[in-house]
Amino acid sequence: MEELLADFVAETREMLEAVGGELVAWEAEPETGERLDAIFRFVHTVKGNCGFFDFPRLEKLSHAAEDALADCRNGDRQPDQQLVSAVLAVIDRISDMIDAIEAGEDFHAADDEALIDALSPDAAPSASPAPASSSDAATKGAKAASGPRSIRLPVNLLDRVMSGVSDMVLARNDLARRLRENGDQPTIDGPFERLSAILADVRDAITRMRMQRIETLFTSFPRLARDLSNELGKQVMIDVEGGEVELDREMIEMIRDPMTHIIRNAIDHGIETPSERLSKGKREIGLLKISARQAGNRITIAIEDDGKGIDGERVLAKAIEKGLIDSEDGARMAPAERRRLIFTPGLSTAEEVSEISGRGVGMDVVRANVERVGGSIELDSTIGSGTRILLRLPLTLSIIPALTVECGGQRFALPRASVEELVSGKRDHVEFAQVGDSLLATLRGRRVACLSLADILGVEARKSVEDATLVLLRLPGGDLFAISVDQILDHEELVVKPIAPAVMGTGLYAGTTLLDDGSPVLLLDVAGLARDADISVDTRTPNEADEDKAATDADAPREPVLLFIGLDGRRRAIRMNVVSRIESLDPSAIDISGGGAQVVIGEHILPLAGLGEGIPADTADSAKLGLFRIEDGQSEMAYAFSEIIDTAAIEQDIIPSESVGEIEGLTLIGGEATELVDSHWLFASHARVARVGEAPVCRLPLDDPWSRQLLRPLVEAAGYRVIGQDDDEDAAIALAAVESGGETPRAGRVIWLRSSPEAAVDGPESIYRYDRAGLIAALGDARSGGGR
Amino acid sequence: MNQLLLIVTIAEREVGICAAEVNSVIALDGVTPVPRAPDYIPGLTALRSRALTVIDCARSMELADPVDLSGPGERNAVVIEYDEHLYALLVDGVSDVMEARTQAAPIPGRLAPGWQRCGNGMIETDAGPVLVLDVGAVVGGPLAVAA
Repeated sequence: MEELLADFVAETREMLEAVGGELVAWEAEPETGERLDAIFRFVHTVKGNCGFFDFPRLEKLSHAAEDALADCRNGDRQPDQQLVSAVLAVIDRISDMIDAIEAGEDFHAADDEALIDALSPDAAPSASPAPASSSDAATKGAKAASGPRSIRLPVNLLDRVMSGVSDMVLARNDLARRLRENGDQPTIDGPFERLSAILADVRDAITRMRMQRIETLFTSFPRLARDLSNELGKQVMIDVEGGEVELDREMIEMIRDPMTHIIRNAIDHGIETPSERLSKGKREIGLLKISARQAGNRITIAIEDDGKGIDGERVLAKAIEKGLIDSEDGARMAPAERRRLIFTPGLSTAEEVSEISGRGVGMDVVRANVERVGGSIELDSTIGSGTRILLRLPLTLSIIPALTVECGGQRFALPRASVEELVSGKRDHVEFAQVGDSLLATLRGRRVACLSLADILGVEARKSVEDATLVLLRLPGGDLFAISVDQILDHEELVVKPIAPAVMGTGLYAGTTLLDDGSPVLLLDVAGLARDADISVDTRTPNEADEDKAATDADAPREPVLLFIGLDGRRRAIRMNVVSRIESLDPSAIDISGGGAQVVIGEHILPLAGLGEGIPADTADSAKLGLFRIEDGQSEMAYAFSEIIDTAAIEQDIIPSESVGEIEGLTLIGGEATELVDSHWLFASHARVARVGEAPVCRLPLDDPWSRQLLRPLVEAAGYRVIGQDDDEDAAIALAAVESGGETPRAGRVIWLRSSPEAAVDGPESIYRYDRAGLIAALGDARSGGGR
Repeated sequence: MNQLLLIVTIAEREVGICAAEVNSVIALDGVTPVPRAPDYIPGLTALRSRALTVIDCARSMELADPVDLSGPGERNAVVIEYDEHLYALLVDGVSDVMEARTQAAPIPGRLAPGWQRCGNGMIETDAGPVLVLDVGAVVGGPLAVAA
């Protein structure tokens, strides 16, 4: 709602600006029809928009102006100087009101009646209110400038600024190098430091400017799903979650196609026809769940369906049939590896090529596209019960954390997201075994293929593989392999630029960038390296694979956790899977009352924990406060922290704490004792605030857009939980349109809405659907009635 | 206003590059090799904090063996932007800027295949006719046509 309001304000402002010129021209010659039209359109639009929002004064004013102008347009009235002044006064008042709305204040200034009266044809030629506008102008300008304002910009302008800033970073690096070469120069170094700091700030701000809610991408999917399922005679319900996650605009564009493709696949190949589903004991309607969440500087998008899953056997059979792998290799593959074959180029499992998929664009292209933006793709599927595809993406495209390595006297960069571990061949007692042409390395009982980067690149290594440093890399499918390099150089944040197509054609590089010393360096494409060396899967034998699996099972629980420092300064960990989002907030958003703390995030008020033993005084001092938003599937709450350390996994047993409370127990993470936050206890003790007085249920015809978009927020604001027409749950009340003519919805009580202001004579008792006051009153009545 | 041509020497021939396409002419300094890249790409170089892909023009037109950059002497390169990428076209020499006297016309007579592929026709200048280089074909290399 807030966003709609901001749009309304922005749009009205824009129109006000445009109409400003027209007004002056109209004042000079009131008879010109064109000017009149433009002004009429403005007040008309304002009036229309007011219907959505609750601005009775604004609506009344614009309505009055519209009426007067309509008379002029119809020729019933001649515009004269007096009318012009009156309209000007109204428009000035609208502009003032918009300012007040934006600032969130009530608008108290003089009554509107005088303005409205001045519009009528027989108004006394009084000292018109128009002069007020000019005398106000200066103060008005000042006021507008003080409030937060927004402007609209063409996106390509933003892109240009962004690329300019990236270039500036590179130029700065270049300058830094030259300064270093010339030794200490105090007079220059100081300002240069300052310049660097400012540049870092600007870069940060620009990056944020380009962020867009992923909603903009998600909103097209329900329609896509609907069209596709109709075409295929399937029924699919789409559930979108986490639309508020923000992502680089360019990144959103880059993943649009891959995601569309995955959704098509899910509906075409995954979800069965209704009859098939019924015979398998599933609900007729297939569920496609799309969710996004942010953790640190990465975004995870999950696309889940409850269809038939991916049959590894069939994928394998197809791959063998197409000669992509030989049957012996295939027989040794673990089920997960077989399923992962769908990412192999040249494979499509569709029984027959259908309209929707199988157009030669396969999952291999999807994978390649996701990898190109520095992301990875994971697949998880169970036959008969569904498939889940996870996309992991960096927040921005152009700046990639990288590891620089040396090989054959030359430097290369590896995306840090793919780097699993660095191992020194000698020191860490890695065993090497030569099998045929390939070299295998055994690291902590795990055998992985080991490639020499020098061999792949055809350059001469300075060290033998055994002496070299190994970089353990994770392929997007989850497989590991190692490459040997002469030396590890540094961790750097690189501004990566695309590379010329002819170089891209080698398939080994993902981009290029300049280092601080001004020399170009190539960013290696990890998947490309593996492809080049023909490793697509782990080289473990099935036996080993089983053993490894047993070993990891014994190691359990290896739950992923987030390590952080609490407000009380203690090292803590929280289970990753309950954290839905990480926010940073102003401490003023926290409200402590009656023994409980709450925090306002966007439009939600969440119970807040983690403040410690009632020492909120601390929090008021800190500039910003970190919050985890945690979720148990039904309710949501927040947990405050001061700093995130890292992500980790629980490797050791948890020593339960003595008393029941916020801390579940102690465990060792990274060699340090860490308190594990007890999420269960958190919800049990805090989330009840949100659950007090279970919200009454209201049934709405959600298939109707009007009900969904306009009515639903109103009903929810009145404290109801909304369910759809066909939900099995019992509802306390239901809202239904008189005109729908449908049967009475199942509910304790039904409120009928009519679309015309006048009640039909023979219909049931009903409320006009824009009668906001009446509707709210009725909802309130029903609620107090329902509480009995 | 007539079109201007930058006259460069490639494989001992003088050819013209449309001056409008040329960003600058630089002395090539410090080329980072790109392992496994096609042999007409000796590597990357940096210009004002941007990376350029160096193109060995003579090799791209299959008129000479790959250039050996380790040898002594200064090498000139013409910086152009093509398809949103920056390239440094390695040439034997840059001699002059000439005004075009005519529109590009087909070349009479036979040409080596490389010239055939990368030529954009012939233009008369005050110093006689020159072949105009199609930079897209040059940066695409011999493979681009095969594909």
